[in-house]
Amino acid sequence: MAPFRLSHSVGARLALGNGALLVTLIVVIAAVFYFGTVGVLARSTDGKIISISNRLREEYGARAPAELVREINHELADGIDSDTEIFLVTSPAGERVVGNLTTWPTAATPLGKLINRELIRDGRPSSARLYVQPLPNGNLLYVGRDLSEQRAIRTLVLQALEAAVAVSLVLVVMGAWLSRRQIERRISGIRHTARQIESGHLDERIPVSGDDEFARLGSDINRMLDRIEQLMNGVRHVSNAIAHDLRTPLGRVRARLDEGLRREATVPALKEAARGAIDGIDDLILLLNKLLQIAEAESGMRAESFERVKLGAVVNDMAELYDAAAEEAGIHLAVASEPAATQWTLGDRDLLATAVASLIDNAIKYAGRGATVELAAPIRGDEVAIVVRDNGPGVAPAELPRLTERFYRINRARNQPGNGLGLTIVAAIATMHGGRLELVDAQPGLRASILLPRATPHASEAPEMALSLTNLSDS
Amino acid sequence: MRSLVIEDEPDTALYVCNGLRESGHAVTCCDNGLDGLHLALNEIWDLVIVDRLLPGGVDGLSIVRRLRELGKKTPVLILSALTSTDERVRGLRQGGDDYISKPFAFAELLARVEALLRRAHPAQDGTELRVADLALDMRTLLVTRGAVPIALQPRELRLLAYLMRNEGQVVTRTMLLEAVWDCHFDPQTNVIDVQISRLRSKIDRGFSPALIHTVRGVGYVLGERRAGVPGVP
Repeated sequence: MAPFRLSHSVGARLALGNGALLVTLIVVIAAVFYFGTVGVLARSTDGKIISISNRLREEYGARAPAELVREINHELADGIDSDTEIFLVTSPAGERVVGNLTTWPTAATPLGKLINRELIRDGRPSSARLYVQPLPNGNLLYVGRDLSEQRAIRTLVLQALEAAVAVSLVLVVMGAWLSRRQIERRISGIRHTARQIESGHLDERIPVSGDDEFARLGSDINRMLDRIEQLMNGVRHVSNAIAHDLRTPLGRVRARLDEGLRREATVPALKEAARGAIDGIDDLILLLNKLLQIAEAESGMRAESFERVKLGAVVNDMAELYDAAAEEAGIHLAVASEPAATQWTLGDRDLLATAVASLIDNAIKYAGRGATVELAAPIRGDEVAIVVRDNGPGVAPAELPRLTERFYRINRARNQPGNGLGLTIVAAIATMHGGRLELVDAQPGLRASILLPRATPHASEAPEMALSLTNLSDS
Repeated sequence: MRSLVIEDEPDTALYVCNGLRESGHAVTCCDNGLDGLHLALNEIWDLVIVDRLLPGGVDGLSIVRRLRELGKKTPVLILSALTSTDERVRGLRQGGDDYISKPFAFAELLARVEALLRRAHPAQDGTELRVADLALDMRTLLVTRGAVPIALQPRELRLLAYLMRNEGQVVTRTMLLEAVWDCHFDPQTNVIDVQISRLRSKIDRGFSPALIHTVRGVGYVLGERRAGVPGVP
């Protein structure tokens, strides 16, 4: 274990903080206790001294001095507090008239005030509390108490308090050490895993046991690591795929140019090579444009330029764009008629059209000759959907979740033209519109739905005319 | 035709200027925004081609804006490496007449330039479009080849009308997508080719001469004879 340093341990700091609080509490309680016992005792002694002194002065001040002498002797002999009581009467000349003090303070003693003095009482040294006041006949009356008993009590209380503070300090330090060790032990698992990951073992996870804060922290971090690992794999896969997808067309371009140069450089041969190279480069530009499009859609930057889009119209437009292609591929392309006016969403028309086009394109490519592709824009609760459904061979359920990965291509499609980015783009477009892409096995075929939040139509927005003279003559 | 090309990137500038010169344009090249603005405002041009991002403190869009503020209707084609729809829309809203993203094929640029110039000098727009014996009546939407009526779907009518309006001029796939289907993205498949071949089967099959011609690597042209396409071998 690392050497103990306070600044290096939260556990120790916490325990010490709590300990300091505890010690403060004990000190406060002790102070209250101390003044509640020793203080009260001292005050009651003071009260007694003054009241006895006053009583003697009032009762006997005007009477014959012999009566006071008798009373004092009686007090000293009555057995009540006799071992601590102090009485003395001195004559104006400073001689003792009566009392149990052997020595007493000189004339400088302040009158009418409680004072502490070291004196000799009955021949023994005594630490005393003393009250001196003059009597009407000129004598001085000393009344007091021996304090040694009170001192003993005070010492006892203080010792007890010191012991309590000492014990609690020991407990605090021990607590700090224990909780530090406990926290250290819980954290060491996390730190160990972090070091492992730092050194490249990305599949390492924090061992989680129990259900306390650290266990929860551990599983949170584990989930985060899962996500990061997944993203890392995705990025790695994407850069591999990009490298591969760029290398193939680049190789082709290079081969064509090389071929053009190696042959007898006739103009037609060179032209052919140049054309081939341009085609290849166009493919590359297309691929890069798609990747840029995904990046743009995923960054969600365009949301501020969203407008109200009528999905039914987008679906119709795209159906009319693809009808010839479907015809050629021997596919029946059908658009389900929908209640107009309500399928509005907030979005970017071009991007939504791109998504729909991509879904139709896929359906035509993969459904096979003779299949039917149905397009619809139904309303589902708070959402509007664009549904493209085919009754072709469909996609194996195991492959469905992977369809939206960049560059993923189902086995059957690997020899078809394409780059495995189409559905990635569709999914990214759906996400940037606050929606999602759902791919379901339609048995038979595949049903692809883009679900988008629904926007309410403005009253002024009448259903659009599919074609009118105005837009025919407006080129 | 006097064209002004404002483009700071030397390779692109050379590519565009040489191409336009070979196609018979008188071209002035300018490599920064400040001079470009000065030239665009103080001389008379048939066409201005301007790069979206330019050095010299004046960018392409502000040149277009300035031109429009002064009420000049010179056709402007914006070139840009910024390909997103937002940028395109911004370019057009500021007063650009067309927007083409880099990288582009020169044939695409030329086709768009010629379409812009035609638009700036429109032919008389009658109620009937006619190319050889093919006629499209804009009021009744009836199409006839000779005396034979031809049935077309609405979108095919729009496609045919666009091709006829640009008779003898090459139109690219992207131009067709934008004008006929209002698509400002590249569906990256052969949808347009298939649409054209269907239209061709309706208006050319069984008739002579063929009117719709493919221009390899560029697009299509509608006309009695295949028009010579400058800049394209």
